[in-house]
Amino acid sequence: MPDRLGTIARDLGRMLEALAGLIFISILIPLVWREFWVVPAMAIAGIVPLLIGLSLNRSFRHAADPGRLHGMMIAASGWFLVAIFGSVPFLLISWTAQLDPAILDVPARFTASGTRTFSTLAAFQNPLNGFFESMSGFTGTGLTMTDNEAALPHTLQWWRSFIEWVGGVGVIVLTTAILARPGSGSLTLYESEARSEKIHPSIVSTVRTIWWIFLLFTFFSILLLWIAGMPMWDAINHAMTGLATGGFSITDNSIGTYNSVAIDFALIPVMILGSIAFPIHYLVLQGDLRNFYSDLQTRWVFIFFGIGTLVLTAVLFDQGFYHTETITVAGIALQGQAATLFQTFRYSLFQFVSAASCTGFQTALSLGPGWTAPAQLTVAFGMVVGAAAGSTVGGIKLIRLLTLGKGILFRIRGVFYPSDAVRTFSLDGRSLSDEEAAQEFEEAAIITFLWLIFLALAAFVFMLALPLGPGPDAFTVENVLFEVASAQGNVGLSSGITGPGMPTVTKVMFLFNMWIGRLEIIPVLVLLRGVFAALEVYE
Amino acid sequence: MMQLEDIPVVGPLLNAGADDRVFDALLVLGPVIIIAIALLGRNTASVALAVAYTAGFTVYIGYKAIRRTPERKT
Repeated sequence: MPDRLGTIARDLGRMLEALAGLIFISILIPLVWREFWVVPAMAIAGIVPLLIGLSLNRSFRHAADPGRLHGMMIAASGWFLVAIFGSVPFLLISWTAQLDPAILDVPARFTASGTRTFSTLAAFQNPLNGFFESMSGFTGTGLTMTDNEAALPHTLQWWRSFIEWVGGVGVIVLTTAILARPGSGSLTLYESEARSEKIHPSIVSTVRTIWWIFLLFTFFSILLLWIAGMPMWDAINHAMTGLATGGFSITDNSIGTYNSVAIDFALIPVMILGSIAFPIHYLVLQGDLRNFYSDLQTRWVFIFFGIGTLVLTAVLFDQGFYHTETITVAGIALQGQAATLFQTFRYSLFQFVSAASCTGFQTALSLGPGWTAPAQLTVAFGMVVGAAAGSTVGGIKLIRLLTLGKGILFRIRGVFYPSDAVRTFSLDGRSLSDEEAAQEFEEAAIITFLWLIFLALAAFVFMLALPLGPGPDAFTVENVLFEVASAQGNVGLSSGITGPGMPTVTKVMFLFNMWIGRLEIIPVLVLLRGVFAALEVYE
Repeated sequence: MMQLEDIPVVGPLLNAGADDRVFDALLVLGPVIIIAIALLGRNTASVALAVAYTAGFTVYIGYKAIRRTPERKT
């Protein structure tokens, strides 16, 4: 086997060992909740990746250290592999309930067919549904094959939240260590001069820094949500998925279940924490608060969230969608227009931040069919753009649009200068040479272009596979575009298309969209090129 | 004398942690407080504990920012 494959196989083995560790740790949950019937399923789900991981790691332990090209291939194949093995708990637990062995004493609500609880868990008997849920979790998307999250065993509720949380840490490592580069980053990493650069030292130190920041934020978020009134189990799960901007919920109607002003507002800083680049968090935690406004991306996160919220509030207020007679907030009674304006602002702020941070939490009466097209378009725009690169968000990312916007202005202004004029392009305080600037524009343009291409491809597949037009079971083109943008942006807001009953081809398409969306496309294409080259498909 | 770093589990945790005593303490105390609250339920003491943790975290960042400002000026 070529040494390059040995390197990849060894690191994939390590990832599977880590996944097994996560599954074994999660066995604490059924012990705490006395769901002993899921323990054998979880144990087997952990043993399988452990054995494969050990075997790969030992077989290739002498392989060379990975360079950045390997890093991209390991990240792309690792995410896919981990999502596959991460689906095993869903599969085995649902089949345990189906087979109902007497020795395990499975609760009747999971075995009595015909109930919603049974059908919710039974959906995972189809391995593709479990794989979808797992990929949605590890990519931080939040689209789900679950009909009623509240009906799931606590162990699966935890596993869904845990994989989103771990996926959130993973993507920060990916974008700050493997794809690290100011701007958009990925393309130059597999150019020849970068190939020999070793990534392990930077990844180890990056992971160490990220883990304590992420853990600290998680504890803070859990306690904040609990203070706001959420039960502790709910707070733990929603803090993990909110911070990872994943959006899985353990309630049937997401955050709308609580219908609480305090909880809505408590989740805003949690989602914003996940939307800011983690290197900036590090500096802020050192006391350098200037980064909130001096860093280009972070500044624009707040500007973008602010403008989007105001636009959405204006549109929905004009529509009068959240007409309210009276509401009491922090002991103050609001009436008439003031009450309506407050309610509109509350839902607009939550929904826009949830969309642009790519979290995907939903609140009561939001995104329903009553919203006008401009309101839905505003939310859709938020989730296509996303927030800061180097954070847990999906989407195209603000920095790429800012690079493209500034680049276009730079080129247009250049027409008015003499051809021999020396001009410097400045981005986020960095002065770039012509060559560097061209590279930045090129990278941002390529990723944005590819993002739109794959979006269009998925929309095309969905339009072929789904019934379109009027009617109770049909979907509109807007529904399709919204759902596809949500999947590829790793957002998780749904127009109602995603569910266990959707056609297989659309599930497979979404698996691909979520995967490339999380890895920012290029690493997946690098991996596929490597596979095709190895198989001599186009040689 | 036995150091905090010598304690099993806590030692490796601190070594991999924030290199800041307060953040390290918050990292160690976080799960302890969450478990305590889960066991105690919602009452005045548990709410006070949660508020103290979240307020302590935010106030400490503010404190670090204030301490940092004169350093930058000099």
